[in-house]
Amino acid sequence: MAFIDYYRLLELDKSASQADIKKAYRKLARKNHPDLNPNDKEAQLRFQQINEANEVLSDPEKRKKYDQYGKDWQHADAYEEAKKQQQTSGGRAYSQGGYGGTGFGGSQGGHSYSGNFDDDTFSDFFEEMFGGNARAQGSGRGRHFRGQDFNAELQLNLSDVYTSHKQTLTVNGKNIRLTIPAGVENGQTIKIKGHGGPGVQGGPKGDLFITFNIVNNTKFKREKENLFAAIDIDLYTAILGGEITVETFSGKVKLNVKAETQPGTKVKLKGKGFPKYKKDDQFGDLIITYNIQMPTNLSPREKELFKELQKLRS
Amino acid sequence: MNLEDLIPTDEIYIRYKVEHNFVRSLYESGLIEIVTIEKTQYVHNEEISEFERLWRLHYDLEINLEGLEAIEHLLRQVKKLQKQNRRLKNRLGLYE
Repeated sequence: MAFIDYYRLLELDKSASQADIKKAYRKLARKNHPDLNPNDKEAQLRFQQINEANEVLSDPEKRKKYDQYGKDWQHADAYEEAKKQQQTSGGRAYSQGGYGGTGFGGSQGGHSYSGNFDDDTFSDFFEEMFGGNARAQGSGRGRHFRGQDFNAELQLNLSDVYTSHKQTLTVNGKNIRLTIPAGVENGQTIKIKGHGGPGVQGGPKGDLFITFNIVNNTKFKREKENLFAAIDIDLYTAILGGEITVETFSGKVKLNVKAETQPGTKVKLKGKGFPKYKKDDQFGDLIITYNIQMPTNLSPREKELFKELQKLRS
Repeated sequence: MNLEDLIPTDEIYIRYKVEHNFVRSLYESGLIEIVTIEKTQYVHNEEISEFERLWRLHYDLEINLEGLEAIEHLLRQVKKLQKQNRRLKNRLGLYE
């Protein structure tokens, strides 16, 4: 991630006092704290950046380095080294691109949050300055922290969630085999306890939250455990009645169409809908709406017969 | 209730470095449940993540107990609305 202007982030100018920084941090942290913004990834990211800014600016030593080197932070140690060499040898000019960033070392104080932060959301600056493990160190107050909660999204077809099935997920490089209960809904989130990040300083493991993105790959529409489908029937079956075959999730069923069925008539097939979540033996209903197909390209004889019918009705 | 699923409040005071009063106040406000078995008080481990959330809000953001109660109420509403929103979006799919 690119360089972040911590002052701008905390809405401060460079002359801000420690009290100003604390106040600005508190204000923005309250606004963006992940606990106060459930399911808001943007707020999580903002909170993380605010935390990071506070870690640096609230520490006078770190702030000094940040103020001095700004976006060239990664060369700070190397720069200092080069300056010393230059002073002793009285020679070479410093070349900015010629040194690798080694970081300043030091330990992190302040706050820690056990929410779901991806590794790459910390700025490079923070990473280099405090080392790769900075985010995992926990707070300087020596608290036990529950591990990070992980969030994952799983895309499944509607037909996949008609029955409970097992699936292996890879989360942060770890394979997790889980049972996906039948009837899970689009957008629904389930919690897999203890499959989040490891706890800090003996704290318990975090949880894994999986949000399902269900893609409807069927002709049915779904509302909770009920399914809806539109079925075309011909005019003559609608008028005279008859038998049709309807496809359901559990196979084909024969259905009697009543005589004089009107367009838009709905028929409920009990128990032929979707399974209820975590109640595999209970099913919703399939609601069928009849679309009556009008005959086209009538032959002269058919027209004649329709006219006869018309006369009979008038 | 299985004793293995319960965490003694004494352990919570030590582990989270919180005062007895804080846990007590959360209980009295109905924000967490405390179970008493043979004079020992426990919090169910299912409630620990909820407790930690309140603890973070209190200690990290300096939100007082009244604030925590208000936040809890509002968060419940947010979650309810998010759920409702999801349901409505799914229903909307019926007409698209």
